[in-house]
Amino acid sequence: MKKVVIKECESIHFPNVFTLDLTQTDVKDCIGCWSCWWKTPGRCTYKDLNEFYHHYITADKAIFFSKVTKGFVSGNLKTLFDRMIPLYLPYTTYKTGESMHVPRYEKYPDIEFYYEGKFETPDRRKIFIDYINRVFYQFYSKNITIKPIEEFILDGGDNE
Amino acid sequence: MNTIILNGSPKGNSNKSNSQIFAKEFIKNMKNPCEIKCIAKYNPKELVSYIEGFDTIIIVLPLYIHAMPGIVMKFIEKLKPQTSEEKYIGFIVQAGFIETAQHKFLKRYFKDLAKQLNYNYLGTVSKGEAAGIYMYPKMFKKVLKSIADLGMAYEENHTFDKEIVQRLEKPYELSKFKLKMLRLVNKVGLNNIGWHTVLRKNNALDKRLDRPFL
Repeated sequence: MKKVVIKECESIHFPNVFTLDLTQTDVKDCIGCWSCWWKTPGRCTYKDLNEFYHHYITADKAIFFSKVTKGFVSGNLKTLFDRMIPLYLPYTTYKTGESMHVPRYEKYPDIEFYYEGKFETPDRRKIFIDYINRVFYQFYSKNITIKPIEEFILDGGDNE
Repeated sequence: MNTIILNGSPKGNSNKSNSQIFAKEFIKNMKNPCEIKCIAKYNPKELVSYIEGFDTIIIVLPLYIHAMPGIVMKFIEKLKPQTSEEKYIGFIVQAGFIETAQHKFLKRYFKDLAKQLNYNYLGTVSKGEAAGIYMYPKMFKKVLKSIADLGMAYEENHTFDKEIVQRLEKPYELSKFKLKMLRLVNKVGLNNIGWHTVLRKNNALDKRLDRPFL
């Protein structure tokens, strides 16, 4: 099974797996130019994520390690989400009863999403989890699991 | 009350920024128009210290992946909890998809964020089907007028007028009839005409379905 790792947590190491290390990299912010839809379909005007795009789109599973920031994802991770739009087409489909973009690729990885950080209320946690589920639902990932990072460590890390 | 309007669009004050158009329209008929600053143009830390002199922040922003653009989250990261009871925050979100139910995840977050930071929450105003405003402003005259009215009423009452908000937020979901129509338009291919015109102009029409990263 091919994996890709996206991490904001320093303690996580996956040897031999392509890792986008957000503790070391500031993803360039989307500038809203729409080159990825209108000028160079599927390609962002910035090249800093090209290797990541390849590993993400050819992976069976993407594993995220995210830090909770003011009850949400960090600005850096949010920028990464924004920059994933070239992986989808500009066209809108209404098949599910609401507006959704059409996939550009045939398949997208399953998602395992671990978060590090505390929520002061159960409602705050739910806002976060519902948002992450929504992101990857509309990114066409079929299986999405979202758990606190403690569960990853208790399970002995990656056991496959 | 002194209010600052922050434009959260990555396009900043470009004339292609629908958020900038909304922000300008919001202050257009005010007796004392508020200042507008673009988040994209500033270091988040410096902008946060600048806005400390204001009682109220209104952030006008586009919806990116069901939430705020990354640059807006980088600004939010730097916001500090307020100690005064007299601080207010509100949001105006505009997006391309027609139905404003797409904004519900962000709305819940913004409401909770106001609580986290001890701001009084003015609410989040949503407008869908807004992507074409900078291209066809004449077609959106009514929408822009509603935004100007919202701004005038805000200056008067320091709240977002409920009636105007409700008008802007329609439709919340796509009705069965609307879905049928949209699916039909898709089936006959009318939906892609606009996209294809732009793609053709950029010599990219034959590359539109490319999968460059396999």
